[in-house]
Amino acid sequence: MNDRNRTIALGLVVVIGIACAALLVQRIDTLRPPEDPNAIDESLYVNGKTARRMSLGFNGLAADWYWMRSLQYVGRKIINDNDVPLDNLGLLNLKLLAPLLDTATTLDPEFLDPYEYAAIVLPAINVNDAIRITKKGIDANPNAWRLYQHLGYIYWQQHDYQAASEIYGRGAQIEGAPPWMEAMKAKMAADGGSRATAREIYTRMYEQSADEKVRDMARRRLLQLDSLDQRESLRKFLAAYQARTGKCPSSWKEIEPVFRALHVAVDASGAPLDPSGAPFVLRPCDVELDPKSEIPAK
Amino acid sequence: METTAAITQSTRRTESRQGKLWRISAIARNAFREAVRDRVLYNLVLFVLLLTGASVFIGELSGGQERKVIVDLGLSAMLLFGVFIAIFVGVGLVYKEIERRTIYAVFSKPVGRGEFLVGKYLGLCLTLLVNVLVMGVGVSLALVYVSHGWDQLIPTIWPAVLLIYMELMLLTATALLFSSFSSPALSALLTFMVFIIGHFSTDLKSLAASLGGSGARWLFTSLYYLLPNLSNYSFITPAAHGRAPSPGFVFATALYAFVYIAVILAAATLVFSRRNFK
Repeated sequence: MNDRNRTIALGLVVVIGIACAALLVQRIDTLRPPEDPNAIDESLYVNGKTARRMSLGFNGLAADWYWMRSLQYVGRKIINDNDVPLDNLGLLNLKLLAPLLDTATTLDPEFLDPYEYAAIVLPAINVNDAIRITKKGIDANPNAWRLYQHLGYIYWQQHDYQAASEIYGRGAQIEGAPPWMEAMKAKMAADGGSRATAREIYTRMYEQSADEKVRDMARRRLLQLDSLDQRESLRKFLAAYQARTGKCPSSWKEIEPVFRALHVAVDASGAPLDPSGAPFVLRPCDVELDPKSEIPAK
Repeated sequence: METTAAITQSTRRTESRQGKLWRISAIARNAFREAVRDRVLYNLVLFVLLLTGASVFIGELSGGQERKVIVDLGLSAMLLFGVFIAIFVGVGLVYKEIERRTIYAVFSKPVGRGEFLVGKYLGLCLTLLVNVLVMGVGVSLALVYVSHGWDQLIPTIWPAVLLIYMELMLLTATALLFSSFSSPALSALLTFMVFIIGHFSTDLKSLAASLGGSGARWLFTSLYYLLPNLSNYSFITPAAHGRAPSPGFVFATALYAFVYIAVILAAATLVFSRRNFK
């Protein structure tokens, strides 16, 4: 065999070998038993402090890795379990999320995004973990007023308006904190459970957050608040209709002319549209969100 | 008469000093050329690919944290590649000359053992300098790419790059010291262990403080002061948050590196001078 033939033969071995290996991998993939869903949620082998020691000066990179792993962990669950709002992931069994975020923030205590994520996502899973991680962030970054905003948000969700007011007040004293933090302190103390306070919280969150997912969650919550106002108005209108005619409308078409006269946006079937553009669903003398609407039902 | 003799002696000393510097620089240039010929700088290609990939894809994975990830990844890769070069090239600097028997040709000329070691050391430091400079530019360009223009993190990464370079200089000296009396494999292992222990030095101090026995406490305290404290040179994470070290800190760490390198090279020369090449 001359040199040229030998080169061709070896080249063929390489190409055919790679092709065979790829085919074999495909075959092995089909033979492999299905992944145990609980195996994904195995506990982390190392805690944050140990990981920091083991990182040998690469702790920032390790923190980034844990952060990306947290996002992927949540992302994978969301893909598997339909599209749910970021602040309502309690049903997804995200038991690894708190340790992952805890490790990321131990590795890089100045990394603010995992604290924000913990404050938004964790309350629906384990509120104590959410408070602990956010407080840890405040201890490590006492001048980051946004962390006080997040902690205030957690307390507000728990209806602990006094604690929320206190935290907003502490955050407001930090140099560079926006003036609305002081206003939030007063609002929480006086009117913590109102829809106006909720609107203020989500508006600020939407304006301040750099995370697209958090901004999207805040946007959807704002749409939800608007839709609650709309639904209240529609219910009043339906009650008035029932009082006048003695019956509930059987379809939106029946009352469409009134909506048009009031400049309420309606679709082709005459159904009024929610703030996301989806039609409301008519129940006898009641109104509900369309299940396809992007506005969260809860 | 006495004045003339003193002038002649002084001229000879100056000439001798200049000759020494010339010989060291010739060995250093040669070591640099050898590293380039050994394709050591090929790692830069890998680095560029890594950063390009990171710039394009990390944004999708990191939830809008691509700038931080690029700095963390870029500077960590710079340190990691640098450590591998310092260890694997550093341990072979002397060994290869002995194995190829070229060291006999070098020492048949008026070249001192110390000059040889310092020249080799500086040659590898020059290679590492080129590496970290190109990588630093690469990280800066990646930041420009993701920010679509000037990025505020660019000025803060360069002090961190300087600290990484100092750490690599320390490790190179350590590798050279071990290779002056040991085999390449063992030298690489020992240098890598120094790298690990160097990043654990703060733990050594806390361990010493927590120990009851005075002997153990003395041992760990001695180790803390004896081994290079490499954690001082870790400034990657603060750099990713836009924080730069103070000039005082950089000066102190540079002085520490200078003193430590001088000690290691002196020890390496001492050991190497006793080796018999006849």
